[in-house]
Order: sequence, then C-alpha cells, then structure tokens
Amino acid sequence: MSDRTLSQPRREQLMRVLVIAQLVILAIGILFPIAWMVTSSFKSSADVTAYPPTLLFRPTLDNYTRLLQTTPFFSYARNSLIESGSSTLIGLLLGVPAAYAASITRASWPALVTLSARMAPGTLFLIPWYIVFRDLGMVGTYGALILTQAAITLPIVIWVLLPAFDAIPRSILEAAGVDGCGILRSLWRVALPLVSSGLVIATILAFVFSWNYFLFALVLSDENTKPLVVAAFNYIGEGSTDWGGLMAAATLIALPPLVLAIAVQRWLVAGLTLGAVKG
Amino acid sequence: MASLRMQGLKKRFGTMEIIPSLDLEIADHEFVVFVGPSGCGKSTLLRIIAGLEPITEGDLFIGDQRVNDLTPAQRDIAMVFQDYALYPHMTVYQNMAFGLQMRHTPQAEIDARVQNAARLLDIEPLLKRRPRALSGGQRQRVAMGRAIVRDPKVFLFDEPLSNLDAQLRGQVRSEIKALSQRLKTTMIFVTHDQVEAMTMADRIVVLRGGVIQQVGAPEEIYGRPANRFVAGFIGSPSMNFLPVNLADGAAHLPDSRTLNIGTALRGTAVLGIRPEHFIPAPEGTGMPVDVTLVEPLGSDTLVHFLVGDIKCIARVAPDTRPHVGERLPLSVAPGKAYLFDPETGARLA
Repeated sequence: MSDRTLSQPRREQLMRVLVIAQLVILAIGILFPIAWMVTSSFKSSADVTAYPPTLLFRPTLDNYTRLLQTTPFFSYARNSLIESGSSTLIGLLLGVPAAYAASITRASWPALVTLSARMAPGTLFLIPWYIVFRDLGMVGTYGALILTQAAITLPIVIWVLLPAFDAIPRSILEAAGVDGCGILRSLWRVALPLVSSGLVIATILAFVFSWNYFLFALVLSDENTKPLVVAAFNYIGEGSTDWGGLMAAATLIALPPLVLAIAVQRWLVAGLTLGAVKG
Repeated sequence: MASLRMQGLKKRFGTMEIIPSLDLEIADHEFVVFVGPSGCGKSTLLRIIAGLEPITEGDLFIGDQRVNDLTPAQRDIAMVFQDYALYPHMTVYQNMAFGLQMRHTPQAEIDARVQNAARLLDIEPLLKRRPRALSGGQRQRVAMGRAIVRDPKVFLFDEPLSNLDAQLRGQVRSEIKALSQRLKTTMIFVTHDQVEAMTMADRIVVLRGGVIQQVGAPEEIYGRPANRFVAGFIGSPSMNFLPVNLADGAAHLPDSRTLNIGTALRGTAVLGIRPEHFIPAPEGTGMPVDVTLVEPLGSDTLVHFLVGDIKCIARVAPDTRPHVGERLPLSVAPGKAYLFDPETGARLA
C-alpha cells in the first residue's frame, strides 16, 4: 500500500497509533524492572526466588519490617540526604555562576573541562581519589563524600544551565546592565528567573545522580556516613543474598527522587521567555 | 540631562576597524539621529555610548565626566533596544520600576514616576500585564516607558521602530518627537531609515564605514549634501547621478545630449539631480527623455527614464501623466543641480 492510497486524516491517525505504540513499548521497557523491584519487595523469600517467577503471590511486609528492624535504615537515609543535598547545593552554588559566566563570555572551554570529569570512567580516579582523602585524614567523613559527589553535580548543573542561559536574548541582559544591575544582580534578578525550569531540571538531575552514586561512596564512607545505596549492598552476601530485603531497600531508596520529581513537575514548563522580544 | 563629547574615538573588533577615528559633540537637550546603511557603525557607536562596547581608543564624555571606564549602570543613560528587551518574567509595572529599584529610589517615588510615564504613553491599563500579552506597539511603548521613568542624562534609541508595521511606525515616530520636545533630554536615535532621520532630528549624523560623512540639520543635509554618498542616501527616491563633461556652462550627458545648468566649472564631474528637481519643460526646450515607467503615487507621479543606460527618476506633479514610450521634455529647477568630484565624491557645486 503506497502513501497515496491513504487519505490525510487516516495517515495522521496511523501516525498517532504508531507513536502511542512506541511510547507503550518504551514505557514497558523502563517500568518493567521497577515493577519487578516493587513486587519482589512484597514477596516472601520463597516466592522471590521461585522459578518460574510467581505472578500471583501473597503480599507480605516482612521484608520491610526486617529491613527497618535489623538495620539503622533512617540513619543511612539521613546520611544520603546530607550528602546528596549538600553536594547538590555546592553544585548549584558553583555551577550556576560558572554557567552564567561561560554563557555571557561565550567561553566554551571551562564547560568542556568540567565535562571531562564525566567522560573518563570514575574507576580511573578511584584509587588516587582515595589516597588523597586518606592523606587528608578525611576518609569516612561527610566532607569527603560531599566533595566527591559535588564533582558529579557540578558538571550536570553547568551543562543543563549553559544552553538555558545561552537562549536568553543578550539584549535583555544588556537592558539589565543599563538599568543598573551588576553581573551578579543581573544573574539573580533577570537571568535566573528566566531559566527556572532549567534550574529545576539541573537540581533534580544533580540530586538523583548524587543519591545513586555508588562506587566512591562505597570506598569513602564508613559505618557512620554510609549512604543508602551502599547500605543496600549489605544484602548481597558472599554465600547468599537476601533478595526480598534488597528489593525492599531499593524501593525505599528510589522513593525520594521520585517524590521530588513529581513535586516539581509543574515547574518543568518551557516558554517563559516568550514575549521577551519582538513578536 | 547632559551634553556628550567624543574625542578621537576608535573601535576595533580584533583586527577589524569599525570606527577609525571619530570626533563629535552633542549639545544638551539635542535630538541627534545617527543614520547610515547597515554596517556603517551607527549601532556600535550607540553601544559604545551606552557602555555595552568598550572603547578601543579615544575618550567619551557625558557632561564633563569621562565615562570610558564606567559601566552602563554608572553612566545614567537609558536605552530602548531594537527588540525592546523587556523582562519577560515581570509585569509592565515591574519592567518600568526595575531600573529605579536598582537605584534604591523610594517606593512612593517609583510608583509616582511609573504612573506618570504610563499616563504619558497611554499604557496605564497594561501595567499588570506581562510582555507576552502585549502587541508589538505596546511592547515598544513599555520599552520607552522603562527609559522615561529613569529620567536619565541621555536617551539612546537603537532602531526602535524597525519592528513596527508602517502605519504604527509613522505614529510612534511623531510620538517620540513630541516626547523629546516635552522631556527636553538629550536623545540619540539610530536608524537606517532616512525618513526617520529627516523627520525627527535636530541634527543628523550621516555615517559610512565608521566615518562621519556630514553633520547638520535635516534641511542642510538635504539641501547641501557634503558628498555624493550623503546626497544619495538622504532623499527618496534617491538622487539621480550622471557622469558628465562640463563645458560652457552646460553638462554634456553620456548619450551626448546637453543639459544647461549654468555652471562655471569645467572638466569631468558627476551631476546629481533629485527626482523632485526635474521639472517638465515647454515643448522644444529642455532635455527630451523617453518614459520607461510611470508610478502614480497620488500626491505626485514618479516618471522613470533612461539617460544612456543609466536609470533616472523624476518626481512630477500628479496631473502630469505621461505614457510609457512618450517623449517628455525635462529641465532642472534653477540652482538645484549638484556637481560631485568623480574621484572623491566631494561636492563641487
């Protein structure tokens, strides 16, 4: 059947069906592991390892009660919050002015330098990084973890905000200058409000990446500063693995970023710069 | 309110020379228009005055103060941008109040000044709206309001009418002129449109390649252009230019016809005649031309013809309606023939 035999409305209908089908397939691909994680967390230890997997099972909260009774889950959660929150804050405090400066000076190299930290595999830096913090006597401290994760959050903030700042018409920033703003005030009063959706995206991404960052946290934390992702690793034993417990922990760990994303969803709208200039 | 002085002002972008060396004085309360074709450096010059572009060499004074190293904020100027550059996240009121807030003006005074400017510009009902809810003309007014409330030493306008449709442009043009007479502030207006320049300016500065071609009152620029470039740029349709040989008080045209212009000059020159200075001559006198195109405009009629292979235009009274192909005798209004040096373009007579 050639295109010619299809009328315009039918073709549009077909396109819409294809688009929806594509989205459904993608959604299943993305949601399946998450659904698997959540359902497994409610399965008894017999059900969770059953083969073939049981689709119908008697849900139980055993995994959650065991998780909360046998581990200091909330102190790990507090560690995670402190480390991810602080590193996100540092990423924003340094990344926002850096991205703004790079944008208004049209200098691209600083952004490239920060990106290089993300391009090389983290394992490359692991040993030297550990040695540096060991020599500083900082292994196992919040400081080491926050600084390490700031190295993750900073490039994210810069790379999300740079194109957002670039999209602001220069004349608006010049008008702010003529109106009496110095560079910091034009950033705070004019540029930042115009990239608010970019700022929200940058904050979420930075927080999520930091929250989920495992390898360096595993090496640099101790019992008192261990974040959730590392604590969950305890469930993978040398001989046996408590899959139900692990899935319950994973489900709880995934909750805060999810809640955060839903909470700020309404901010994720574009188009604030509409009407700024001639139209 | 202040005068403005540029001394030996130079601007280079890398190795590219935008303004070779420029001297200009603008008096207090004067309305000056920088006019010239694209790339003549007029906008760059305005941005230099605003402090948005650094000066490569030379000095810029606002009043008695040398402002080379002052930021835009410190120069006490206000600027209306070509694209208006309103703050999209602020209401009209906030847009206008912003510059005053940055200067820590008391809230009561901010309020009074914004209301006053809004009344002056007839945008009071729009104060609570955001820029995206405004039409182009309304945005333009808000941009002007933002400048007015500041009561700055100098107003700068960077082609503020170029994004408006023709009708609105004419209206805003008269409004800006009326405003300038009411506010009595030094104003510098950049445009590539010679009609805007002629209608609004106290003085026109014609620029080309970063070099001032002529500075003068509109009637002076029109009536006594300094060179061929100014003569061709100001006036619409443009002045007609014909290479001629001068002898015995007459100009010998390329197609070996002769036009009596009563000049004492001799040798080669470029003859310049404005379309409106051609007048129909009685039969058997003047220079007969073959009409190639007729454009009736209502108020007058444009008659196109060829001299040799050079296209010329005459603007004649509306009741003169020649037909294409008709032979029409034309002469030049007395004293309205301009002669330019064929090499330098300077006006000879």
